[in-house]
Amino acid sequence: MERIIARFVAALRESGIRVSPGESLDAVQALSLAGMEKRSLSRQLLRLTLVKNVNDMPLFDEVFTRFFSRFQPDVSDIDISDLMNAAIISMEGEFNYLNQQQGDDHDEPGPLIKLDSDINPEDLQELKSLTEIDPDESDGKEIVVQMKGYRGKAKAPRPMRRYVQNPLTIELNKSTGTDRGITFSPEEQAAMQDVVSRMMLRLRKDMRRMKNNQNRGKLHVIKTIQKNYRHDMVPFQVALRRKRREKPRLVVLCDVSFSVSHASRFMLLLLHTLHNQHLDVRSFIFNREVAEITEMLINMPVNDLMQAIDKGDIVDLDENSSFGQVFLAFKKRYLENLRGRPAFIILGDARNNYDEANDWVLDEIREKARYMLWLTPEERDTWKRGDCLIETYGSYCDKVEVVKTVDDLSLVVEELLRDIYADQAEPIDRKRLREAREAETYDYQDYYTRGTGGGGEPAFDPSGRSRW
Amino acid sequence: MITEQGVKDLLNTGGYIADDAIATAVFLAIRMEKPILIEGPPGVGKTGLAKALSAALDFPLVRLQCYEGIDEGKALYDWEYGKQLLYTQLLRTQLDTYLSVSADLREAVERLSAEESLFFSKNFLVQRPILRSFLSEKRSLLLIDEIDRSDDEFEALLLECLSDFQVSIPELGVIEAEKKPLTILTSNGTRMISDALRRRCLYLYIGYPELEREVAIVRAKFPDICEDLARQMVDFLRKARELNLRKPPSVSETLDWAQVLSILNATQLTPAVVANTVGVIAKHQTDLQKVTELAMQELSVPWNG
Repeated sequence: MERIIARFVAALRESGIRVSPGESLDAVQALSLAGMEKRSLSRQLLRLTLVKNVNDMPLFDEVFTRFFSRFQPDVSDIDISDLMNAAIISMEGEFNYLNQQQGDDHDEPGPLIKLDSDINPEDLQELKSLTEIDPDESDGKEIVVQMKGYRGKAKAPRPMRRYVQNPLTIELNKSTGTDRGITFSPEEQAAMQDVVSRMMLRLRKDMRRMKNNQNRGKLHVIKTIQKNYRHDMVPFQVALRRKRREKPRLVVLCDVSFSVSHASRFMLLLLHTLHNQHLDVRSFIFNREVAEITEMLINMPVNDLMQAIDKGDIVDLDENSSFGQVFLAFKKRYLENLRGRPAFIILGDARNNYDEANDWVLDEIREKARYMLWLTPEERDTWKRGDCLIETYGSYCDKVEVVKTVDDLSLVVEELLRDIYADQAEPIDRKRLREAREAETYDYQDYYTRGTGGGGEPAFDPSGRSRW
Repeated sequence: MITEQGVKDLLNTGGYIADDAIATAVFLAIRMEKPILIEGPPGVGKTGLAKALSAALDFPLVRLQCYEGIDEGKALYDWEYGKQLLYTQLLRTQLDTYLSVSADLREAVERLSAEESLFFSKNFLVQRPILRSFLSEKRSLLLIDEIDRSDDEFEALLLECLSDFQVSIPELGVIEAEKKPLTILTSNGTRMISDALRRRCLYLYIGYPELEREVAIVRAKFPDICEDLARQMVDFLRKARELNLRKPPSVSETLDWAQVLSILNATQLTPAVVANTVGVIAKHQTDLQKVTELAMQELSVPWNG
């Protein structure tokens, strides 16, 4: 029995479900406890012990059926031609599956093992020829191997995950899609780095101002007593409870369709740079479908990522963008597991191509969000024309802003981050911050009009210092 | 010797209608002494299973409700500082006499440190739920509810407890469970539970029940609701679940509704009945509307199923 289980576990691993040795031991123990008379019971036992994720369950069932069907004794009294038909049908099913999964397990014999050895060789040949068609020639073995590593992990496989491991794989499928060739020059990247780091510098100054107060909470009685044992309980040293300090969390949904590509590419660059600063940002891109690119932003050179996006490898760019569908998909797949009231930024022109608006989803997102900001590259006077839904969507947002340049963008994001920090601060800090900011306003304006070249911090900050 | 059919019957008599997967999971958990991790949408009876089991098996229920920021002081154990202080004050005179026999300071310190363990003993240990269930004289049922609400750190803290059924206390050493409790963890899936924790548990997914089982659940809880009405109710709710509602009605809503209908002495579902009681099954304003519309569509013709 141990051997069968070991082989079954191997089959599961092959199809991407992660099973640890401990779990297979559990399975053996479970089977020996409950017996193996009934097939359905054994299936349940194995599923309980080997599968630890809802998303893996259908896959498990499939592997189970395939694996244990060859031990069925009553093959002899079934008409061979029926069996053939069934095999061909399931083979076709498998084939479709292959197409979807981008060549995940096409080196497996698949349901062929269902057949007895006495079918005639021509049929077999025909069947085999079906498997030989590679669904995607350009994805070689390498990707298959990588996909396998990822299939079993905590989340359902996302097509873009594979890039995270090795950006080189992008080079492998250059054949697909049209190349629009949007990349960033080193100067642009450096400029963005510059803008962002100066933005962070200014923000950090604000943060430092409130940090001390933010950390402190009520008296921690037990710790205070502990600390003052040695002083005979006279509380010389006071221990205060620490407040949970939240990192500002940001969720960004970025439209990458053709109509806004000039704006979204800068948004992506900004995101990429923000990721390198210590901020908790989750980024999604969408056109008609939505995909998370958080990890790719962290792990990939930004130009490679841009290429991947432009080629439509992550989300299909040939479709018309549909905000309604994207919101619905986002709600289904991600909304539940967003933590800690993040601030939402949505970048897009809200041109829905006359699809269903689904604006009620935004209402739900609103409940989870601390703040919602819609950025559009379009001027206000074109908002009413055509299929633009920004007035509908905008009514759910705290703010709708027009951004046209990098400076607009960074100014808006900075304002937002500042608001998030201020939100968490004590009222007294908030007041102080506001005063400080008002005093500095002129400096900032000047700062931006001077452009990206040169320029340093406003040297002296009288409002902040005069208080101390 | 208990079998999975035995578990099922036991639960059935306790009023919890289990399907095969649930019964098998419970059976395995009892025999293999492994925790079960239950996931599923809210209100399908995850916590209910634990309660029913505790009643049916006569295991005392120890419940730990997780929340963001829960730590070992709330879940495992804590030292009772107040009591320790009080004891040192009260024992001061005794300590004086006890130490006065010693010849010099060095000896006094040695004598005192020999008794150090007094102050970090089980006398001064406050047992929190997990430790309490480990040390309970009878085998208990430990319910760790909504584990997905806790932080990652807390999850890591649970690993030792769940795999070896022991708690390490630096001052006392390792305390092992007297009787390994039957452990049930529930999660609503608002956050991914780490693989390390999953690996230590049996994994059970409870989804919405099939028609027959849900009817059986309603009938078991409210015997005065006739079979026809129960079937019609469940049928309607199953359709409502497919409506893309913000909060789809779950089994707990089914039961609430059954109770309401039995109080109202309803015998058949009509759009009017649904409209009057819709607040029980739909919990958002937009949902209310959708459900009422569904009732208009589905129930205007008299039902004959």
